Amino acid sequence: MDGRPLYLAPRLESRLRSLVAATGTLHALTDALGSPVHVVVPDQIAENLERFRSVYRAHHLPGQVFYAHKANRSSALLRRLAATDAGVDVASLGELQHALGAGFTPDRITATGPKNPEFLWLAARTGVTVSVDSAAELDQLAVLVRKHALAPVRVLLRLAGFETSGVKVLSRRSRFGTPVRELERLLEAVERHGDVVDPTGVAFHLDTTSVAEKATALEGCLAALESCRSRGLRPRAVDVGGGFGVSYLAEREQWDAYTTELTAAVLGRRPPLTWGGHGYGLRNESGTLRGSLGLYPAHRSVAGAAYLDELLAQPAPSLGGRPLAALLLEHLYDLYTEPGRALLDQCGLTLAKVLEVRDQGPGEELLVRLAAKADDIALEDHGVLMDPVVVPGRGAGPGEGPVAVHLFGSLCLETDLITRRTVFLPRRPVPGDLLAFANTAGYAMDFHATRAQHQPVARKVAAWQDGEEWRWCLDDQFWPITPSRGAQ
Amino acid sequence: MRYDSITEAIGNTPLVRIDPAVHGLRTIDLYAKLEMLNPFGSVKDRAAWNMARPLLPEAVEHGSQVVELSSGNTAKALAVVAGMHGLGFKSVTNRMRVPEIKDLLLLLGAEIEELPGQSECLDPTATDDPLTLFHRTLSASGSAYLHTDQYFNPRNTEAHLTGTGPEIVKDLDGRVPDWFVACVGTAGSSTGVARALREEDPSVRVVGLVAAKSDFIPGIRTIDEVQEVGLFDPDTYDTMESVSADEAIEGMLTLNRRCGILGGPTGGAAYFGAVRHLRALDEESGERRTAVFIVCDRVESYLSYVRQRRPDLLGRPPRKNSPADLSAAEVGRAPSVTVAEARRWIEADRPLVVDLRSPYAYAALHIDGSVNIVDELFSELVQGGLPFSRSRPVLLACPVGEQSARYAALLTRMGHPDVRSLAGGIIAWRDAGAPLVRD
Repeated sequence: MDGRPLYLAPRLESRLRSLVAATGTLHALTDALGSPVHVVVPDQIAENLERFRSVYRAHHLPGQVFYAHKANRSSALLRRLAATDAGVDVASLGELQHALGAGFTPDRITATGPKNPEFLWLAARTGVTVSVDSAAELDQLAVLVRKHALAPVRVLLRLAGFETSGVKVLSRRSRFGTPVRELERLLEAVERHGDVVDPTGVAFHLDTTSVAEKATALEGCLAALESCRSRGLRPRAVDVGGGFGVSYLAEREQWDAYTTELTAAVLGRRPPLTWGGHGYGLRNESGTLRGSLGLYPAHRSVAGAAYLDELLAQPAPSLGGRPLAALLLEHLYDLYTEPGRALLDQCGLTLAKVLEVRDQGPGEELLVRLAAKADDIALEDHGVLMDPVVVPGRGAGPGEGPVAVHLFGSLCLETDLITRRTVFLPRRPVPGDLLAFANTAGYAMDFHATRAQHQPVARKVAAWQDGEEWRWCLDDQFWPITPSRGAQ
Repeated sequence: MRYDSITEAIGNTPLVRIDPAVHGLRTIDLYAKLEMLNPFGSVKDRAAWNMARPLLPEAVEHGSQVVELSSGNTAKALAVVAGMHGLGFKSVTNRMRVPEIKDLLLLLGAEIEELPGQSECLDPTATDDPLTLFHRTLSASGSAYLHTDQYFNPRNTEAHLTGTGPEIVKDLDGRVPDWFVACVGTAGSSTGVARALREEDPSVRVVGLVAAKSDFIPGIRTIDEVQEVGLFDPDTYDTMESVSADEAIEGMLTLNRRCGILGGPTGGAAYFGAVRHLRALDEESGERRTAVFIVCDRVESYLSYVRQRRPDLLGRPPRKNSPADLSAAEVGRAPSVTVAEARRWIEADRPLVVDLRSPYAYAALHIDGSVNIVDELFSELVQGGLPFSRSRPVLLACPVGEQSARYAALLTRMGHPDVRSLAGGIIAWRDAGAPLVRD
C-alpha cells in the first residue's frame, strides 16, 4: 500500500452506530436471508421528518412535507411515515397504490412525474393532488374528470425555466414543467377547466445542489402566484420540490484529503487511486486538470433540513430583498417540500458478505469479492464515495491493517465493481466478514437493482430498537403496530 | 501626471515598506507592492488590459462581446475596458460570492451569468460539465466573442513579466528580493513576477499561497482548484502554503489598521502568509534581506464578506426603541385581540389598522381600510418616537401575530394608551373566514 490510507468514514448517527455494532444481529440476518440484505430503520424517518417540521416552525410556515417515495420502495418506511402527519409524493401508479395501502389518505398525497392514464385516473378518483406537468396534461386530466363524472381535482402547476433580472442564473434544462413564459396560456387553460380542477398552487423541482438556483425559482413562483391571484384564482401553496441533500461522510478533512489526492493521481503525481486509473470525470490535458469531478459532494456542511432553512433565508431581489420565508408567510402561502434522500438520511444500511480475499503480491491492493452485485449497493451509481464498515465474522481475530482493497461484485462481468475507488480498510477482511454500507436507504437500495444472471435481488428487513436489543422483521411484515415494538 | 487615457495609468504602482514594529521581523525588510492603486482597483488591470488590447480593434469592427470566466477583479477591469471601447462584457462564473462585486459589475453595465450548480441526482456518466459547454458556445460558428481566457492566456503572465516584476527590481535599486510571496488565483501575477525576478537572480525564493480547502478567500484558489489553471506550474513555487479565511482577515486588519494600507482579504492573506513563512527564517542569517508581497485590491468591496465571517468587527451600538430589547414577559403582556374581537373593535371604534407585511404581500391581499407600513420601515419610524397620535387607537397586524405583539409591547412602553396586536395575525384572520381584499 502506498502512503497513508485515505479513509472516507461514513457519518453514523446514534441508531446506525448502534446497529453496526450489533454484530450478532447482522450475522443472523445474512445467515437467515442470504447476502446482500438491506436493513431499513423506520423510526429514523420519523425523526428526520421532525427536523424538517422544526424548520417550518422556526419560520411559522404552515404546509406539508411530502416524502418522495421514489427514493426507496420500502413498505416499512412508508407505513412508519403514514403513522405521522407527513405526506407522500408518488411518481407512478404502483407508488400511489402503495401509499394508499400504507394508510395515507388522499389529502396527504401528491402525484408527480410522467403519468399514464391509469395513474391519472386513480389519482383523480381518490382525490389526491396532481402536480400538472403541462397544459396538455391539464387538458387530459380535465377530459378524464368530465368523462367519468369525478369530483374536481386539486392541481399544482409545475413550472420551469425561471428567469431573473440582473444576474442571470443558468439552470440545467428540465424535461418537466411548464416554462414560466407560457404561464398565461396555462392559466387560461386552468380557467377554462375551472369546473373540474382546483388550482392549489405552483411547484418546481430543480435537480441542483445550488441554493441560488432554487431561490430564483421560488421567487419566480411567488410572481406566478400573483398572476394567479390577479385572475381571481385563490392559490395557497408553493411546492419547492426536493434536493436538500445528505452529508454522507463523518469528516470534511477526509473528503478534502481524498479529492486532493485523486486530483494528484489524475495528474500522474501519485499512484492511481482507482481501478484502471479512472478519474471520476477529471482528466489530464498536458499537465492541466480538465473536466469536472462527477461525484456527489459527500461531505456537506449544510444538508437536509438545514439546507431548507438556508433556502428560506435567501433574499428575493425583485420583492424588496425580503427573505423568501418572510414573503411566503406574509403572502399566506403554505410551503410544500418533497425530500427523498434527505428524509432517508441514516434510515438504513446494506450488508454484503465477503466471499474471497485474493492477494496480488506485495504492495498491491487486495481483491475482495462480495456476495452482492454493484446494483444492489448503488452508491457508486449516484457518485457517493464512502467506506463500508467491516463487521467481523464469528471467531475472526483482528487481521493486519490497514489495507487497500478493490471491491468486486458477484456478476460474471468485468465492470461489476462495487466501487471503482481503491478502498482503505483499517484491517484485512476475511471470508465470512460482513461489509456494512451505511446510509444506503436513499436511492442506493432498490432503485437500480436487477436480477441479472439469475442472481437474487437483496431482501429487505425493517429493524428497530427494543431497549438494548435490535429486533427485526421482513420489510413487508412491518406495520406501525407490529408486536414487540417499543411503542406498544 | 497627465495622461491621454486612463489605461496609461495602469502599472507603476508604489512599493511600500511595512513598519518592522508591525510585522516584528528583525532581519528582513518586508515590502508591499500596492497593486490596489491601479486605476480600476486591482492587480488584474494589468492582465485585463494586456490580454484585451491586441484584440480590441477587430472586436470593435465586429461589435464582439468581451467574455471571461471571472468572479471579481478581472471582470471589473474588462467591463471598464469593454465599455471604453463601446463593447459589451459578459462574465460567466460559478464563484461570484461577493455581493458588492456583483453589484458593481452590473453598475458598469456587465452581463453576469452564473453557471448551474452540481446535479443533486447525479448522473456519473454525464461528462458535459458547464465549463465544457461554455467553451463550446464560444467556439460555435458565427459567434462574435472576444474571449480573454485569463487562466490560459500567456499575455496574463506577460503583463507581470514585463511590468510588475521589473518594477519591483527597479524600486529595490536593482536588487532582487530574497523572497517573493504571492497568492495564486490565475497564477498570472505570481508566475510573471517570479520569472522576471529569477531572470535577474535565480536565488530568489517564491512562496505560493492557496486557500485552505474548505475555505473561501476571494481571488485565491484552493490547492485542487489551481490544478485547473493552465498558467499554473508547480515548479514556479519553491513552496506552496495554505491560508485560512480567518487568517486572511487577520492579515487584512493589520494592513488596514496598522499600516494605512486599505487592502482587501487577498492582500491580507499575502501579508499573513508572508510573515508566517518569514518568521521561521528571520534568525537564520545576520545580514539584512528583503521580501515582497502583493496587495491585490482594496477592502471596500469586501464588507459583506467580513460581516459574514467576523460580524464582531462591524459591531454597532445598540439601537434605541428596538423590539429586540423587550423581555419575553413584556411581549407576553402586549395587548392583543382575537379576530372576532378585532372585527367588532374595527366596527365600533375605527382603530387605525397597520399591516406590517411587505408591500407585495399587502397588495395581494389585506384587511379593508388598513395602511401598510413594512416592518423594516416601522422599526426606523419608532426609533424617532411614537409614529401615531395617542388619541388614535391602533391595531397592528403581521403574518402570525408575533411581530405585531412585539411592536404593541414596544409602543405601549413608549406611552401609547391603546395599541393592540391581532392575535394569530393575517393568517388567523383568513382562517376565520374574515374578508381580505385587493385594491
